Amino acid sequence: MNDLLFEMTQWLYTTPLNAFAQGVSESRMSEIVVSWFWAIPLMQTVHILAIAGTLVAVLMLNLRVFGLAGHATVQETARRYTKVLWWALVFVAITGVGMLFGDTVRNLLNSIFWIKMTLLVAGMALALGYSRSVVRQTAGGGQVVSAGTRTTGIILVALWCLIILAGRWIAYAPA
Amino acid sequence: MYPEPTNIWERIEYSSFGTAIAESPWMFPTFEVLHVIALLTVIGTIAVVDLRLIGVASRGNRVSLIARDMLPWTWGAFALAAVTGALLFASKAHSYMINPWFLAKMSLMALAGLNMLYFHRTVWRTVGDWELDTPFPPAAKLAGWLSLIFWVVIVFCARAIGFTLGIYY
Repeated sequence: MNDLLFEMTQWLYTTPLNAFAQGVSESRMSEIVVSWFWAIPLMQTVHILAIAGTLVAVLMLNLRVFGLAGHATVQETARRYTKVLWWALVFVAITGVGMLFGDTVRNLLNSIFWIKMTLLVAGMALALGYSRSVVRQTAGGGQVVSAGTRTTGIILVALWCLIILAGRWIAYAPA
Repeated sequence: MYPEPTNIWERIEYSSFGTAIAESPWMFPTFEVLHVIALLTVIGTIAVVDLRLIGVASRGNRVSLIARDMLPWTWGAFALAAVTGALLFASKAHSYMINPWFLAKMSLMALAGLNMLYFHRTVWRTVGDWELDTPFPPAAKLAGWLSLIFWVVIVFCARAIGFTLGIYY
């Protein structure tokens, strides 16, 4: 596994991404982020809080869908947590981009980073699709959603745990 | 070969238990990921209740019902965070105990706990009398604000530990 990740990282260095990453790392924005020691920890703090918002929104909506928690209707719960999801995902994206300026080369030319990005895009799309699907299916006052939607909910929680895992693993990836 | 321990923290760090975690290629990262997932769940579930207390979110919902939904998850996740946190601590106990950010994180967690304890033993006892009011009593809002601030700063301290571990002697 480590060999494969290392080869992926080596391959990334042969792509135009290398020149792009080098260019970004020499930009004014990168200079600002790198020169202020606390810029990255502060952005990471907001990033982590936004991921906490996303994880809990997905978790709580799931628990309501499965009847394991929640006092409001499924529809009300879905609407409430969809708002949380949107806000959280906006902050995940903004702080994620901001942090890239802090260590562009190590991130963009890192196999785990791209695995995380793939999972993140899937996680974002699936989370918003899931909440929308729950709202649609319970629009008539029903409290039950399809088996497919319930399965998606379970996959979604696992997917966000994987995103968190990949986020931490970037630091351990062979470079 | 590790040097002879000179205090309790070095004794923990140099123990077979502590060195096993520190030397393993997978243990520290695995416990770290579990710790992060647990901590995010703790913070997220607490924030849902706090945001209701300060009147920012879920305004149409009774705070007692929101708390009832959240608290089992908060405590379950907190137990996991405590266990994984202790395992991570054992691998670098001495380094953590001389790191001001780690000490600040632990102090703030104690303050967050005291804030919650005080709130539950005072204002929360009469929640049925005020949870339909708008706005909530100042003491309830204050507890919500304090909790939010404590947990945000705890996350910052947690990240700061990663950036400063090993620079203090």
